[in-house]
Amino acid sequence: MTATEILFWFLSALALFSALMVLVSKNPVHSVLWLIVVFFSISGHYILLNAQFLAIVNLIVYAGAIMVLFLFVIMLMNLNNSTEPQKNSLVKLAGVVAGCLLLTVFVSAVRSAQEIKDSQALMNTGDIGLIENLGKVLFRDYVIPFELSSILFLSAMVGAVVIGKKE
Amino acid sequence: MNAIIFSAGWGIIMMFCSFLVKNQSSYRHIAAVGLLVLLAANIFDTYGVDFFHIDSGKMLAYTRFGFVFNSIAIASTLIYVLLTGRDIERLGRYTAEFFTLVFFVLCGVCLLSAYNNLLMLFLGIEILTIPLYILTGSDKRNLKSNEAALKYFLMGSFSTGLMLMGIALMYGGTGTFLLESSRLQSNLYHGISFLEIVGLLFLLASMCFKVSAAPFHFWTPDVYDGAPSVVTSFMATIVKVAGFIAFLKLCTVRMSVTSTAIDWKLIFSIIIILTLLFGNITAIFQQSVKRMLAYSSISQAGFMLFALFSMNEYASKGLLMYSVAYCLATIGLFAVLVKMKDVTFEGYNGLAKTQPVLAATNAIFLFSLAGIPLTAGFLAKYYMLASIIKTGTYTWVVVAGVLFAAISVYYYFRVIQAMYFKNGEPQMESFGRSFKLGLVVLAAIIIIVGAFPQALFNWLYF
Repeated sequence: MTATEILFWFLSALALFSALMVLVSKNPVHSVLWLIVVFFSISGHYILLNAQFLAIVNLIVYAGAIMVLFLFVIMLMNLNNSTEPQKNSLVKLAGVVAGCLLLTVFVSAVRSAQEIKDSQALMNTGDIGLIENLGKVLFRDYVIPFELSSILFLSAMVGAVVIGKKE
Repeated sequence: MNAIIFSAGWGIIMMFCSFLVKNQSSYRHIAAVGLLVLLAANIFDTYGVDFFHIDSGKMLAYTRFGFVFNSIAIASTLIYVLLTGRDIERLGRYTAEFFTLVFFVLCGVCLLSAYNNLLMLFLGIEILTIPLYILTGSDKRNLKSNEAALKYFLMGSFSTGLMLMGIALMYGGTGTFLLESSRLQSNLYHGISFLEIVGLLFLLASMCFKVSAAPFHFWTPDVYDGAPSVVTSFMATIVKVAGFIAFLKLCTVRMSVTSTAIDWKLIFSIIIILTLLFGNITAIFQQSVKRMLAYSSISQAGFMLFALFSMNEYASKGLLMYSVAYCLATIGLFAVLVKMKDVTFEGYNGLAKTQPVLAATNAIFLFSLAGIPLTAGFLAKYYMLASIIKTGTYTWVVVAGVLFAAISVYYYFRVIQAMYFKNGEPQMESFGRSFKLGLVVLAAIIIIVGAFPQALFNWLYF
């Protein structure tokens, strides 16, 4: 077992474990902290795939900005056990059944997908995730979606002003 | 490309207007001029005059069908702005921003009618829906509007997440974002990947959410009811139909090639029956006309789903006809509804005596939605049913469709009954003669298209 493989298995186990902890934790602040661990381990996977830029962006945007927003929202709402909505057991059961069905579909999808078994991700050699290649793809092949997404952000900004401004 | 760039550009012009032009009432005139320019640009594009030579690298594929649909969407928006412009002004201080967002939505519509890449589908859907979240909550002091906006936003972003997941899986299955490509064909030749199917199922769920088809329709009544009526009018018509156009393309390209692996027809027939059932049965029990129209939009979505079921030439023609009939009639109904002080059925009592023109045009819009012959709505339903009969299977869907169309007549005619056969003094906002004239023109268009459908279809060929 090479070092890369050991790292891969370690990061995968960490990601799965902390993702479970996000759901299981009673305290919402703990959930958010576990979520940060998930993002860090996923960023680790990106680095293993030689996509450093993606790893850093993932950390800055998700573990940094979005998690801070999450924490703010949780603090502002002042959540505790008494405010937690009580769901009846029938809804919970339905949720479990639906979730298990979705899991079954996914597992069978991955099992029957031949192309995944044959091919392996490029580890440490591929340079597709480097910022130079990313920039080339973004501004050559995907320049039209890139430009059009500016309309999306512009409308979001207009919305923020319209909703947020005092009348 | 003309329409995409002009709509985005005019949206920005409207933004600048909000601080350069002080006169509130001139915004809607600027918006109307913008829509005319947009319509002209799109018609130029239809006949091959492209002002911008941009190589989209197979991201966008223009078809005559898409151009004609763009024209219909832009023209409907123009009618919408002309009819309800004054009511938009009463919504708050952000009239110019409202029009900005309407133009951005149109940009999304133009993307959706031309996309050839799943990335563009995603962008189009997002450009379409994000302005709508804002418009839904634009009546800031109304708690119902706030609730509707939050609900719509949370559920909408969840369905967008599903869509992204589906697109990612489809990429995993075929190795390309392109809707049609040689690589896809060769991959399919080797056997359809299971990932593709799962991805398509995710996409199906998310698109069904966007067009409010059952069982993903639960947001629709609350959001349509909570949003300001002028906004509901826009999002129940143009936006919804644009969603169907995108859905139809996805179905005809991707779902038809995977039909050997999964029975899409069965899935769609279940969705159709559920949508018609939920929409029609709950619409019967509504007391408010606005909420009734929300449920009726679900049931009309059920009829538009027929096109996705059959995916033949009748279906695309029918969807075009449906978009004209449904958009125009609903815009007209909402234009009158916005003027009413009381939007329950009782509020319409005796409208025929006090406002005969409004009542008559309203009745024509309702006839069209119910599918009474000589209106565009009849032909739209006819084409939809005919498209399924052409496929030769699943005749029971047609039978169910006819039955549910008959049920829908009941709740549409309740409004007519209130207007003509009950006594009352309806309370209305003031309106001018031009408003009445606009309604009459709209009703005339519906009847003309219903009597001479070739006027619309010729556009597809000449």
